[in-house]
Amino acid sequence: MIRLENVTKIYGKDTVAVREASFDIPKSQFVFLVGPSGSGKSTLLRLINRQEQPEHGDVWVAGRNVNELPASQVPHLRRTMGNVFQDYKLLLNKTVFENVAFALEVIGKPRHVIERQVPIVLELVGLAGKRERFPEQLSGGEQQRVSIARAFVNRPLILLADEPTGNLDPTTSEGIMGLLDEINETGTTVVMATHDHRVVNAMRRRVIQLDNGVIVRDQERGVYE
Amino acid sequence: MFSRIGYAVRETWASFRRNLTLTAAAILTSAVSLLLVGTTFLIQRAFENLLVQWRGDVEMIVFVRSDASAEQITLIDSVLRASPTIIDVNKLTYLNKVESYEEAKRIFVGDPVTLSLLTPESIPTQFKVVPLSDDPMLVRSLSDQYRTLPGVEAVALAEDEFQVISTLSNFIRVVTLVMSLVLLVVAVGLIWNTIRTAMFARRREIEVMKLVGATNWFIRVPFMLEGLLQGLLGGVVSCGGLWALNSAWSSGVAGFKPGTGISSLIVPNSYLTSVMLILLGIGAVVGAVGSAIAATRFLDV
Repeated sequence: MIRLENVTKIYGKDTVAVREASFDIPKSQFVFLVGPSGSGKSTLLRLINRQEQPEHGDVWVAGRNVNELPASQVPHLRRTMGNVFQDYKLLLNKTVFENVAFALEVIGKPRHVIERQVPIVLELVGLAGKRERFPEQLSGGEQQRVSIARAFVNRPLILLADEPTGNLDPTTSEGIMGLLDEINETGTTVVMATHDHRVVNAMRRRVIQLDNGVIVRDQERGVYE
Repeated sequence: MFSRIGYAVRETWASFRRNLTLTAAAILTSAVSLLLVGTTFLIQRAFENLLVQWRGDVEMIVFVRSDASAEQITLIDSVLRASPTIIDVNKLTYLNKVESYEEAKRIFVGDPVTLSLLTPESIPTQFKVVPLSDDPMLVRSLSDQYRTLPGVEAVALAEDEFQVISTLSNFIRVVTLVMSLVLLVVAVGLIWNTIRTAMFARRREIEVMKLVGATNWFIRVPFMLEGLLQGLLGGVVSCGGLWALNSAWSSGVAGFKPGTGISSLIVPNSYLTSVMLILLGIGAVVGAVGSAIAATRFLDV
């Protein structure tokens, strides 16, 4: 589903964010990218959804070379991926329902599809009763659930999560991980960047560890060391 | 499709209200610059009226000295009639002292000082010449020839007066055109800035839109509509201004005596209408193009 071949990303002149990274993530896998801040986890995610382009190497998603896509095809690439962030990136002037609906609206889905899909996914993340709330009326965990609902409502092939539990307490994190696990169960490939030891150790999934932009470990059913 | 149009219209309107002061500035500047463009058109057309009216029967006037003898006058007459291919002999008229004085009284009605210097005895008489030829150079060369005839005081060409008017109209055209172009650039700059502010206010939304796979066009269209609307509203305001200006001028001119030339500086309504349509068009295009460039430019943040 996602394959990187000797990918190097350099910011500016000589800040190497990722060096010669290669890995292959099959469909439906759940993968943790771990490592300290600045080790290149976020950059890897941004290379996958083409927010960044590498200096060397190729990034393949669903059989297509991401870096050779014409700019006009990038939106279609991104429709196959959902994104979840540490700071949720919700629109504060929109309700829970509207935030999730927004993701469908802006890719031109008709009203009746939106009316059908959004309640289903809100039910899935456990926010069916709070659809008319605004983000500021929700707890951090609930806001992250809204953001996951928004990422998942278009049924993407891939879910990219950048420190999704970074702002949450352990109990709430557990709930969020359960949700991501559930989404993974539906066949969605999940790539999650984190430096949260507890969630990695609890889940026992594939772990790719980065240090200074270099992959130093790639282990099935790994733990955070 | 309908949801997309609805989305674009809603977003345009919301953004319009959010940046009310900047929007008003952009609209007013484009209105003023378009008003100047329109005024340039109207002035041009008005002067054209005047020039066309004169050009319709180019006249040369041969002034004869008041002390010229009857033989000299007869000689001038026969010389004029000797060029029937250039001069319309049938329209050749001679104004004697009484007639010339009557005409002078009309010409200098607003200038009693000059008139008081003239008496029926001292006034030059004149031949009014209507040329057949359209070639001003030919007429001019004839006039040089007539100037040397005995008894001729001066030869006046209507063409010389055209030059004053066309120089004046060219000057006004250049000045107003330059001013309106400068203002138009300022208007584009203001529209550009409004769009940038609008996009900055919505950068979070734009970021989310890009991440969930909205196309650049989808993101851009509301901003383009906003710019188009600003330009168009500027056009509407300028049309109102132009109409008011033209009405005031037309009724002002109606107070002048006919035949003074000024009264011909009036523009027909059909022309005014087409100028207004042009202004609306320019406003819409400038607004849409300016904001499209701005939107494209600031989309990659």
